[in-house]
Amino acid sequence: MRLGRLIEATNAFLFLLPFLLFLAVFVGYGVVRTVYFSLTDYNLFDPPKWVGFQNYVRLFREPDFIRALQHSLAFTLVVTVVQTLFSLLLATVLNQRIRGITFFRTVYYLPSVLSSAAITLIFLWLYQKTGFLNFAVSWVLTYLPLLLTFVGLFVVVQAVQVVFERSRGLPAKPFDLALATASLLLAAAGTFALDLFGVVNPREGVQFKFIWLNTRQEWAGLPIPLWAIVLQNIYTTIPTLMLIYLAGLQDIPKSLYEAASLDGADDWQQFTRITVPMLRPVTFLVITLGLIGTLQVFDQVALISGPGGAPLESTVTLAYYVYNNVFPSGATPKVGLASAAAITLSVLTLVVVLLQRRFGVSERGY
Amino acid sequence: MPAAASTRLAPGERYLARRRWARVGWIYGSLLLVGLLFIGPFFISLTASLKDNPLEWPFRFQFPQVSPRNWSAAWRLGIQGANDPWLGGWTYGSQIGFEVAYFVPRGTEPTPPQITIPRRKPGAGQGAVIDRPYAADYSEASMPQEIERKPFVYKGESGQLVRYRFQVAYARELPNPEPPEAALKHVSKPRIDRLPADLESPRGQIFISATLDPNRLERRGRVASWDNLTPGYLGYTFRNYVRVFTESRSLETGRSLFLSWTLNTFYFAFVRVLLTLLFASMAGYALARLYLPGKQWVFLLILFGMMVPAQVTFISNYLVLKDGIFGFTNLFGVSTLLGSISGLILVGAIGIDKVFIMKQFFESIPRELEEAALIDGASTSTTFFRIILPLATPALGALTILTFQGAWNEFFWALVILSTGPQNAYSLPLGLYSFRNAYGQVGDWGLILAGSFLSMVPIIILFAVFQRYFVESVSFSGLKG
Repeated sequence: MRLGRLIEATNAFLFLLPFLLFLAVFVGYGVVRTVYFSLTDYNLFDPPKWVGFQNYVRLFREPDFIRALQHSLAFTLVVTVVQTLFSLLLATVLNQRIRGITFFRTVYYLPSVLSSAAITLIFLWLYQKTGFLNFAVSWVLTYLPLLLTFVGLFVVVQAVQVVFERSRGLPAKPFDLALATASLLLAAAGTFALDLFGVVNPREGVQFKFIWLNTRQEWAGLPIPLWAIVLQNIYTTIPTLMLIYLAGLQDIPKSLYEAASLDGADDWQQFTRITVPMLRPVTFLVITLGLIGTLQVFDQVALISGPGGAPLESTVTLAYYVYNNVFPSGATPKVGLASAAAITLSVLTLVVVLLQRRFGVSERGY
Repeated sequence: MPAAASTRLAPGERYLARRRWARVGWIYGSLLLVGLLFIGPFFISLTASLKDNPLEWPFRFQFPQVSPRNWSAAWRLGIQGANDPWLGGWTYGSQIGFEVAYFVPRGTEPTPPQITIPRRKPGAGQGAVIDRPYAADYSEASMPQEIERKPFVYKGESGQLVRYRFQVAYARELPNPEPPEAALKHVSKPRIDRLPADLESPRGQIFISATLDPNRLERRGRVASWDNLTPGYLGYTFRNYVRVFTESRSLETGRSLFLSWTLNTFYFAFVRVLLTLLFASMAGYALARLYLPGKQWVFLLILFGMMVPAQVTFISNYLVLKDGIFGFTNLFGVSTLLGSISGLILVGAIGIDKVFIMKQFFESIPRELEEAALIDGASTSTTFFRIILPLATPALGALTILTFQGAWNEFFWALVILSTGPQNAYSLPLGLYSFRNAYGQVGDWGLILAGSFLSMVPIIILFAVFQRYFVESVSFSGLKG
């Protein structure tokens, strides 16, 4: 028996050996060395000089680092909150037992399998001054009178219909979909007619040429190019998170909804009282994945910044700050400082994840 | 609808049916709308990638590259120029016929346009560096002959439409004597990639149409300019895509860089997948099932390793690879792993999260099977490779997809390890980055967009074939973790 155990342990060790070697060389040694570098003055060429905690002190006096830290934290907060909410919303909409739903799920997931480099380059084009984003906004602004007329007509027609139905004793809700279909068609026809007779006209000469990237201007305390990256990141992460939510939604027993609906709970109540609490473990996962992913955002920053894109100081994040100090273009590497920043980044990640676990959505259910 | 409305019976059968249909309609409608939102930008930029100027304002959905008339013209001209309807070209002995029409206002005497075959470098960046023979040195254009004159009204102004026809022939065998060094380098009748042409109309005449729509109208429309009169179908419609291959060439070997990047990335992803499949499942199995003192410490190490950002380990890993893993690779005659795909493979050879996934998976399958095998006297490795691994096919499938996708899209490590090396050793994402830096400044967005889309093709094909597994692999990596 003891011999058997010994053989099994040897086998297990041999099975693990390649992985352990890998861990030791590329992770363990890497972490230990970076911690060491963070306590030294080092430029990749001369031997490291011990300086103690000076790098950490210096770091918090570097305006570039403070900026990167602010960008990373704000980026993480905005992206995580928005993408979590939207992916939950989308998953709830998509969680339908109708034909062809698999097709839609596949289509929605497509952007998430593509490389961040390729997607960022496409967005780089979209964000150009005469790129498609500005053109689309110009289009909306041009047809704004018609769009507003359409929405107004829709609301009016819908209200009239609901009132009429109720007067006949039928239980019509404000958002009754059958009535909304009729309202939609009537509003479209009405808008078309108003346009035809020249009552409402599209605006002329609207040219929205907003500078998204090559600018140092700020909006709501964050540089506009960073907002551009926020937008892109939300857009590309939502589908993945939505799929995770969908898997979670399938696990909620249908009987809960049936019971609630018998008790007279409406859709919104069912959503807030059943769906959201039952999904709490999934939400925990989605938020944690989101936090880690966004705190360490690098690819988008590297690709958006540069000639024809955004100025680096408007987009720099912690991860990019670290890289840029180890491989600065045309300057001496500041490896000590970069290592200190890298350690700060990983501690920050850990703290944020733990804080969210303690005070945010925890993995424990309802 | 009126029939249902006339019934006084509250919520009748038809009333409910109507609401059900409306509900389904709204669901499909909103699904389509959301789909448009997610796929729309890709469709739009795909359209733009075909244009000569993807940043044109206002954005058009109708442009020369999507007109069937130009497709057939490009096809015909490709055959005339080099007997290649797809990619076109310009070979010795060929001659093309070309027609062009001008509007001449009343009272102006029609004058034939001036043809020039310019010595124009293809694009900016790497494409402009490599010296290729110029069509201008070998070609002769005939004088345009007037072939038709008919009354025409242009923007309310009356006059006549005059059509001209001219030929361009690849007739000269030797290049012009000047510059002398160029004459030595060129063979006497090279195959030429492109036959550019500029057509200048006399003052007062307005360019209306041509056999093939020009790429640009310059000097307020007086000069119609073609990048290639013999483009072939692909060379015209997918001009930017062809340029991705032809204009980024290695300066030493002349091989297409984009092709090298693609092959590199395939090789990288393939080896990554193999290594991960083998070693991650072995490690996962040992952790899930086998007896090993101190196993919990390994597990702790894994959890720790999963949390460490790449930004923490890349400095040391860069140095480790620079020295060839403590000089180990000197045994194989390789002094550094920087700038080589092998370095990129090694640095993330076994995904830590993949080991975790496999451990979770092996814990979920019943023990009885292995115990039966053990009683039959099978060794651990026999049990693992013969019994456990075949059972793990779904997990291995998910692992393959996750790893391939991760490798194909890997950017950060490629930037750290490969960017100091030669350009032909880049992976695709890094190649795209170099494209972006080379062409972003001059605003050659057609090339950048085309490169991006080309780099997506393999992963999209993979996605189309294995889409079910892709979608499942998300929940695999996400929920079970």
